[in-house]
Amino acid sequence: MSRFARRIRLFVELSRVSFRRQLAYRTANLAGLATNTFFGLLRAAVMVALYGARQEVVGMSVRDAITYTGITQAVIAYLSVFGWTELMDTVYTGDISSDLLKPMDYFTFWMARDLGRALASMLMRGLTVMLIYALVFDITVPVGAWQWAALLASLLMGWLVSFSWRFLVNLAAFWTPNALGISRLIFATSWLMSGFMMPLRFFPDWFVGICYLTPFPAMINTVVEVYVGVLDAQGVITALAAQAMWAAGLIWVSQVVLRAGIRKLVIQGG
Amino acid sequence: MAPIIKVENLHKHFKVARHRRGFLGAFRGLVSREYETVRAVDGISFEIGRGELVGYIGPNGAGKSTTIKILAGLLVPTGGTVIVNGRVPWRERKSHVATIGAVFGQRTTLWWDLPVIESLELLQYVYDVPPERFRRNLAEFREMLELDQFLETPVRSLSLGQRMRADLCAAMLHDPMLLFLDEPTIGLDVVAKERIRQFIRRINRERGTTIILTTHDLSDVEKLCERVMIIDHGRLLFDGELSELRNRFGGEREMVVYFDQEYDEVAVDGAEVVSRNGKRVTYRFDGHEITASELIGRISARHRIRDLSVREADIEDLVRKIYEGRLLEAPDAG
Ligand SMILES: Nc1ncnc2c1ncn2[C@@H]1O[C@H](COP(=O)(O)OP(=O)(O)O)[C@@H](O)[C@H]1O
Ligand SMILES: [Mg+2]
Repeated sequence: MSRFARRIRLFVELSRVSFRRQLAYRTANLAGLATNTFFGLLRAAVMVALYGARQEVVGMSVRDAITYTGITQAVIAYLSVFGWTELMDTVYTGDISSDLLKPMDYFTFWMARDLGRALASMLMRGLTVMLIYALVFDITVPVGAWQWAALLASLLMGWLVSFSWRFLVNLAAFWTPNALGISRLIFATSWLMSGFMMPLRFFPDWFVGICYLTPFPAMINTVVEVYVGVLDAQGVITALAAQAMWAAGLIWVSQVVLRAGIRKLVIQGG
Repeated sequence: MAPIIKVENLHKHFKVARHRRGFLGAFRGLVSREYETVRAVDGISFEIGRGELVGYIGPNGAGKSTTIKILAGLLVPTGGTVIVNGRVPWRERKSHVATIGAVFGQRTTLWWDLPVIESLELLQYVYDVPPERFRRNLAEFREMLELDQFLETPVRSLSLGQRMRADLCAAMLHDPMLLFLDEPTIGLDVVAKERIRQFIRRINRERGTTIILTTHDLSDVEKLCERVMIIDHGRLLFDGELSELRNRFGGEREMVVYFDQEYDEVAVDGAEVVSRNGKRVTYRFDGHEITASELIGRISARHRIRDLSVREADIEDLVRKIYEGRLLEAPDAG
């Protein structure tokens, strides 16, 4: 086997194990699912009230708006929207040394594990939330192979941007004992700017402009817009390209920061 | 043959922020921090040959773990040179760690919430062990370490002894030529300790794995190692054969004798009566001057002995003697 094939194999095995581990948390998954659904239905009700008699707001029908609340609730677990601190925990406990003792690429190691976790979450919580929505409401559904393919690509890209961003934020732990507080602040910021709380279209242009200078919309808002079909073909391609650029940029920055962090760790001894 | 580990004048100094007392101190601490330098490793040199099983002992805070972390590539030293198996560990960390195994007593290298077997099987891909080889090793270690009863248990639910056995297995599955064990028996009961010692001995004898074992439990070393290095305050106090250490500092032995009846006069030439309790008398003697059997002969020539036992001065006593500087002038602590 070539070296590349071996790395792929390790990646797949790590993801698989992480996937199974996530599935094994039955009670947690069920509790999460119940909460996501409850708040989803609540948010849908608020949307309906806000729309009132209006049929459409900036290109989104009331049906799209309801669907929007479903999608955002569905990606909470998939993208760890409420925060992810596993990596910084290993820095603070010193358990990171166990990972550094293994001959593997540290970034792809976490990436594989997060992918497994994300896919299991999508299956157990994301898809289930959407199914419940489909039963309760008349929701928007992507039409045709093209839109489904675009949605899948966008979801995958959204995860990649989200993961590399979360990875980067966790690296703060190499430099400060307060990485947890910093990450809370950053995650809270992302709720607003990613389009998690409200579709970004609803905000004034200047604010949306600022949001698009950050990676946050590439995590959620783009997925929503591709799903409900408010973008034309050209728009979809541009949106996917923007996601890919954010992912590439964040991965690159993570590598640089990671190298500096590990250098600091092995010199100062954690 | 070239040594597998070569360490020369190794230093590792940590900068630790000094806490100031009182309100003003705390305030000044915000503005400018004062640092204190801890010399965890303070000029150590040694070589270790292939297949050796070396005991690296010393009290808490002596610098044992720091040395091991440097050898494992997890720490960059402040000064000195280290070559392990032809590599500078921290420069080529990834290729270096592929060839070593390491167990740090107080933490596991296994995944906390996975069943033991899943963690172990992942290692096949982490270290890229050929499947056939991996099966064979796993089967062998399962038997040697008696892992079967808890293979399906998540690591977090294991007892300390079980976890240590699983960790030893994990450290050996990829056939490392070097094994670092940092306090592998810490916190274990006698039975668990013994099982782990047996494993260490077998690995060293049967596979020729070079092993460095740190411990502050001196019976580990007594039972396992021929060569001992004693470290304190970051400096080597002794590096040599266990028997040499005994000879130089450990001539003193004790013999407890149970007589048939209480005798008035129990003193003999060549030994000193340390304590006396009815029929039970404890003698102390110098092993270099008189052998235990000579002493028994002298005593039994005058009295009837029912039972006796001889206690070897344990290394703990020896180390204390070295620390007290009575028998070795300790280098000035910097
Ligand atoms: N990362 C660190 N930062 C500051 N001081 C440290 C660090 N690691 C170890 N030390 C200090 O270095 C000394 C040696 O520690 P260590 O090597 O862990 O000793 P041992 O393993 O022999 O008990 C101790 O005084 C310890 O407090
Ligand atoms: Mg230690």
